[in-house]
Amino acid sequence: MTFLAHVEAGAASGFLSGLSHPVSGLDHVIAMVAVGLWGAQLGKPAVWVLPVAFPIAMALGGMMGLMGIPLPGVEVGIAASAMVLGVMVVAAARPPLWVAAVIVGLFALFHGHAHGTELPAGANGTLYSIGFVIATGLLHAVGIAIGLIHRYDWGRPTLRGAGALVAAGGVFFLWQALA
Amino acid sequence: MPLAHLVQTGFGGFYDGLAHWALTPQDVLLVVAFALLAGLAGKQRARQLVLALPSAWLLGGLLGLLVPSLMPPELATTLSFGLVGLLVALDRRLPAAAFFALILAAAGLHGVANGSTMATTGPGWLGLVGATLAVFIAVSLIPALLVGLKKPAARVAVRVGGSWIAAASLLMIGWLFRAG
Amino acid sequence: MKRLVLACLLALVALAGAHELQPAYLELREGADRSIAVTWKIPYFKGRPLPIEPGFPDDWQEISEPHLTPLGNGLLFRWKMKPGESGLDGAMIRIEGPRTGLTDVLVRATLANGEATTRVLRPESPGTEISFANGGVPFMLGYLFIGIQHILLGVDHLLFVLGLLLIVDGTRMLVKTITMFTVAHSISLAIATFRIVEVPEAPLNLCIALSILFLGPEVVRKWRGGTSFTIEHPWVVAFAFGLLHGIGFASGLSVTGLPRGEIPLALLWFNIGVELGQLAFVLVSLALMRAWKVIELRWPLALRRAPGLAIGILGAYWTFDRFHAMLTAV
Repeated sequence: MTFLAHVEAGAASGFLSGLSHPVSGLDHVIAMVAVGLWGAQLGKPAVWVLPVAFPIAMALGGMMGLMGIPLPGVEVGIAASAMVLGVMVVAAARPPLWVAAVIVGLFALFHGHAHGTELPAGANGTLYSIGFVIATGLLHAVGIAIGLIHRYDWGRPTLRGAGALVAAGGVFFLWQALA
Repeated sequence: MPLAHLVQTGFGGFYDGLAHWALTPQDVLLVVAFALLAGLAGKQRARQLVLALPSAWLLGGLLGLLVPSLMPPELATTLSFGLVGLLVALDRRLPAAAFFALILAAAGLHGVANGSTMATTGPGWLGLVGATLAVFIAVSLIPALLVGLKKPAARVAVRVGGSWIAAASLLMIGWLFRAG
Repeated sequence: MKRLVLACLLALVALAGAHELQPAYLELREGADRSIAVTWKIPYFKGRPLPIEPGFPDDWQEISEPHLTPLGNGLLFRWKMKPGESGLDGAMIRIEGPRTGLTDVLVRATLANGEATTRVLRPESPGTEISFANGGVPFMLGYLFIGIQHILLGVDHLLFVLGLLLIVDGTRMLVKTITMFTVAHSISLAIATFRIVEVPEAPLNLCIALSILFLGPEVVRKWRGGTSFTIEHPWVVAFAFGLLHGIGFASGLSVTGLPRGEIPLALLWFNIGVELGQLAFVLVSLALMRAWKVIELRWPLALRRAPGLAIGILGAYWTFDRFHAMLTAV
């Protein structure tokens, strides 16, 4: 308690901005949740491969963004990701695990890259990173928690409906990115 | 290091060292990653960790205390905890020799950084003892919470934790080499 | 291995010159003529007054010679000062000297109209601005902090609690014993703070050392599977010695000069601090023992015995040390 008062103000704001960054853009949020939805729909082992692999792929993208390594088509990639993931959920698509992992990993890379280049100047890097990763993980958890309705009869169509919403949002963002 | 300026608790060097460990994210993440790794691997690894990690930390710390110029670069202390986090994400059960070697290398490295900070910013050996005790408590308690986990979902949660630690490491590396 | 552990314990003894240091106290009281009556109390450190002194703004002047009163555990100075243009409100006060890092300083300032504020200066921030706006919160947190500090640096109190943990069997008895210790030392802390009973420091410290020495053989008896009144009713012992330790805690809480109305609040926050620190120590100790059981970690016999041996050895050392101190003081 008392020691915390000694942590620089910049440290606390770094953590908070890291925590709030992934949830501040709706395009990011729905894509993250869609990963969780799809993972839950795919069932084992995807439901855990995706949340384990996603943060690492995303951090890889973030690292590239921070270092200034360009990644072509980031904006379109992010906008497309929500649409593609939404369509996957609507179609209840069941590609082989590695295909799903590559799709999600690629999108993770794009999202991470965008976050990396948007990092606020002067923030504390260490705590920003930790806050960022925690927020992303929690968004997945939300998606997976919603996706758990997949095990009920009424849940499967509902889940696909949610996928349709995500896809519609994705189309909107794609249109914005291209316009 | 962002928080390398020493925290003063007003409780003397021992508690300053303890608080310094708790407020240095690289050090906390490394110790937590090792604790998760050992917790997933079972009781034997958990016991080995309780003995080996604080010893390696103290050894490295003494070295850093005696030769503060050995302060390792932040890249090294960041890569090391990322590697251990990755091993947790992959749920790899290391052979004993590799496990001990990894502890000696990674915890020793962080210990050197710790000892060097203690030497240059104030509390000295008493601070190192405090930090080592904090590490010892952490590696005693965390694996004990995990060794009993049998449900696949619970193990997955731990692996996700490891993946987050690895991700934080990658982002921090990007941060260290950030453009502009 | 046994010899190694014993050697470590003896090294501990050398370190265990657990000198308890009282906080210093600075009072600034504004009179009707705007002059400031200063009261400055410094504790003894290793038998000598601690070499620290208050530093006032440059435009303050002494208008009377300091008057010295020796106390049992320190020195008390009183003098008058004429403050600068801006007066007491907003003045920067610093604690100066080579050993400012050793103790907290309680600063209390009162305006002529009776408004008062209290600050606790800690070693890492030896200066403060006297301000009469919302002085209440840092004051109470300051006492909370001193309480936590007092218990976490009070190796002798922690060893006694550890001794209790080693003797007690079962959760119910443990809760009962720790609660009794807490209740007892809270009572006697209050009694000593209000000076209902005054106990000279030297014999008190000797008795606290004896209480730790007393637990040593009981722990050994427990190892051998024996029993005794203490092992069967540890809560009685915890209560009785708790009374003693509470009076000891009072030495860390300096309320000299605090208005009577504020003493209960200071006492409450100090006591809460002590309990928080003690609770943290108990919980971490128990969690460690439990964790080692879960991962089936069996320490070598010598190490398992080390805490008990430490209690006995340090208890004996402190007993001799404090007895010696008492004799030389007479």
